[in-house]
Amino acid sequence: MNQNTKITVVVGALAVAFLSLAAGFWANAWGHQEAREEIPLVDSQFNTPDTFRQSYAELMRIKADLSDFDCYACHDKGKPPPIRYDKNHNIVVPQEHAGSIVMAHGSHDRNNLCFNCHDEQNLELLQTRDGKQLKLFESTRLCGSCHGPTYRDWDAGVHGRTGGFWDAKPNQERTRLNCVDCHNPHKPKIPGRHPAPPPHMLHPVRQVEHATTH
Amino acid sequence: MIQGVRNYLVFLFRCGRIAFVGDWRYYAWMGILTVLILLGINAYAKQFVHGLITTGMSDQVSWGVYISNFTFLVGVAAAAVMLVIPVYIYNNEELHDLVIFGELLAVAAILMCLAFVTVDLGRPDRFWHLIPGIGQFNFPASMLSWDVLVLNGYLLLNVHICGYLIYCRYKGEKPAKWFYIPFVFVAIFWAVSIHTVTAFLYVGLGGRPFWNSAIVGPRFLASAFTAGPALIILALQIIRRVTDYRITDKALLTLRSIVQVSMLINVFLLANEIFKEFYSGNLHVASSKYLFLGLHGHHALVPWIWTAITFNMIAMVLLILPVSRSLRWLNLTCVLAIVGIWIEKGMGLVIPGFIPTPLGEMVEYSPSLNETLICTGIWAFGLLCYTIFLRMSVPILQGRLSKANESQGPGEAPGAPAH
Amino acid sequence: MNSSNSASGAVQTGDGMNRRSFLRASAVLTTGLAALAASLKPLMELEDFPTAERFMQKYYTELTPTEMDKVLKRIADETEAQYGKRPHVRDLKPMDGVEFAYCLNLTRCIGCRKCVHACVKENNQSRNPEIQYIRVLRLPHGSMDMEKAEHHYNPEKVPEPGFFNMPVQCQQCKNPPCVKVCPVHATWTDTDGITVIDYDWCIGCRYCEAACPYWARRFNFTKPFIPKDKLNPEMAYLGNRPRRQGVMEKCHFCIQRTRDGRYPACLEVCPVGARKFGNVLDPSSEVGTILRTKRVFIQLKEELGTSPRFFYYFDV
Repeated sequence: MNQNTKITVVVGALAVAFLSLAAGFWANAWGHQEAREEIPLVDSQFNTPDTFRQSYAELMRIKADLSDFDCYACHDKGKPPPIRYDKNHNIVVPQEHAGSIVMAHGSHDRNNLCFNCHDEQNLELLQTRDGKQLKLFESTRLCGSCHGPTYRDWDAGVHGRTGGFWDAKPNQERTRLNCVDCHNPHKPKIPGRHPAPPPHMLHPVRQVEHATTH
Repeated sequence: MIQGVRNYLVFLFRCGRIAFVGDWRYYAWMGILTVLILLGINAYAKQFVHGLITTGMSDQVSWGVYISNFTFLVGVAAAAVMLVIPVYIYNNEELHDLVIFGELLAVAAILMCLAFVTVDLGRPDRFWHLIPGIGQFNFPASMLSWDVLVLNGYLLLNVHICGYLIYCRYKGEKPAKWFYIPFVFVAIFWAVSIHTVTAFLYVGLGGRPFWNSAIVGPRFLASAFTAGPALIILALQIIRRVTDYRITDKALLTLRSIVQVSMLINVFLLANEIFKEFYSGNLHVASSKYLFLGLHGHHALVPWIWTAITFNMIAMVLLILPVSRSLRWLNLTCVLAIVGIWIEKGMGLVIPGFIPTPLGEMVEYSPSLNETLICTGIWAFGLLCYTIFLRMSVPILQGRLSKANESQGPGEAPGAPAH
Repeated sequence: MNSSNSASGAVQTGDGMNRRSFLRASAVLTTGLAALAASLKPLMELEDFPTAERFMQKYYTELTPTEMDKVLKRIADETEAQYGKRPHVRDLKPMDGVEFAYCLNLTRCIGCRKCVHACVKENNQSRNPEIQYIRVLRLPHGSMDMEKAEHHYNPEKVPEPGFFNMPVQCQQCKNPPCVKVCPVHATWTDTDGITVIDYDWCIGCRYCEAACPYWARRFNFTKPFIPKDKLNPEMAYLGNRPRRQGVMEKCHFCIQRTRDGRYPACLEVCPVGARKFGNVLDPSSEVGTILRTKRVFIQLKEELGTSPRFFYYFDV
């Protein structure tokens, strides 16, 4: 083969290569973008500022049914209900309250007497240790009568939830929550909850070996 | 004046013309490169449309093979200086005419660097934000703005020096010293600066302990002065093979001694780095552990880095032994050194800096097919540029293509005396 | 190339040879151009071609108020066209005498990740691929070593015994490495301490992402996806307006809320009140009180000299 024929062969081969490339490009024969794996949208419970529980004050505000708080529907007025303890000196929650009340306020069962907080003379009121009577929706002051430093922090906005405006002015207010909006007064420790789903990787294949612990 | 412009345009035209003329091997080589470039263009078109999701990069490993190759090629570009220093400072005669080939390699390498940076941008359409005066150029705070300046400056310097020398040779005139010697000396310092600045891109990041080490700059230079001249040795051997341009063995052996010394320094600095990381054993060793040994069951880079270290070690031993005076062994040595350093500086430096993330997450990286095609395309583009530069400059240096034979048509005049 | 003389010689000898070389040249050229044209085919899918107006848009600080109004209107138009809902886009400036700080109580945080998802919802972050500004870490009790952090914990219940949780987001540094490295000034710190990004100026080099010691920055690797009905229409230019492919984004303390006097979304949603935010120049503010009265607070990776405006603290 002389030089010229060789060139013709090379050029022919190139032309064929270019044409097949063109066809390949046109058909998008390789490396096409695969559709991404679906990521389920997160449940709205994970992005709305709902509270752990609804307090009496909140129920009042939303005009919910408050018949549960009508103590004298069952109890007799002016007659403090009896308190019973088991042999370990744990309070026995009467059957009528067992569904809604678990007594677990304070460690070592130090706070297991209903009338540490409720007024035994008037069950619809609360009472502080120094005998001040408070309405049910004023419970925060009752909590503060024992939990001094926390109450101080809460008062400064440092403990507990806030919302609305950091730059509070008339018409743009800072909302504050009360203790019992989050804490159950009978069992104040915040219960564990299921976390929102963990993040998804950009390239899912690389996620394989992710265990929950190292 | 008008005559001068005309002459220059004729020169450019003839240079352009000759790039399309060659034997069958030339066409085959250029054809293969063109095919690879087209594959790269297609892959880039996909990336341009769908975004960098087409790569293997993620928020965790946000730089990949693009920046790795960029870093390596800045080194190659800087290494041209290793030809310039012996010639212009030590008056080495053997290398005198070869300087141009080194500088042309630098030009091709910088073009590749710019291409690699461009394909790494998320918004290439906004490149103009980077142009000083028109955009908002964060100089001198951002090391990247320094890099933009030094790389483009280096490109201009080399284009000027090569272009001027070649054009003078074409005209058969002696180049005016004042018009290029000062630039040559500026280019020497500039070459060091492009690689130092590129190292500082990484060194300056306090949040990445793997990079935040003063030895990275010196390591960059040492590895560049190993891989660059090694690449030039291979290029010169190819030039010698496919053209009748005379390149002496002695010139190649001079380059060998440069590679030899640089390789020793390179390995020494690497050993320093390894010692400091592992002996002190503080918390920041995680990236190095990941690179060399694997961490928490992730070890994608381990085979790579040990390949690199093995190659570097073999190359170093070969360079010390007299056997690498034989050109065949020298070629092997150069290939080992280049591959070793390419891995060490690319995969071995850029990627482990991201693993684990500053928040301790382990996400591995491997380039996607599309990303690899873009890289091959850019390498093919660089080789194509370098081939064309050589195709133009060799006949001019040999005197086959000159102003004197302008009237003889587009090709080279046969039989003109080689210089 | 050695023998190229004969090849180039061939170009000049005889008509037949000329025709042959012409045919050769045109064959290579046409097929080559065909391949080039075909290689660009993916560009036909380009939906979001920048208009001249968008391409030429000036830098944030160089926009005059009238130009800014035009830009805001354009953003509203584009968003409406895409999401079918007209947003309210504002360019909110920092307030005088305000410097923001954020305090996070590690004693309270239970690691429920509600902050992550409230942030996604508020700030119009891409749902797929997922972009989240907040990463909640689970660390073993007693250690602040990030390398021990677990990002993908998903137990039945949090908090888990033996671990504590630490949410990390942009720390709004006083000496931000990301701002320093940006080659085009696309990110800067405003007088109220918020480090912002002009999404229309960012070139997507991701240098800031490499520089951030808190892994707080996120890149739009592809076109973000937000379901139409999930779009938050209350927007700010430097805040939560929808981003495009190829630009950076990150936590900006909910500029669209906080520069309007509101609390950030992550704070409002936190079920345990672990997050506190406010004007640190006002000593009676919540953050002012915390920094005055609490004993220990941590600036994450303090040794790097970034001086975050984000403080982690503990209390009883």
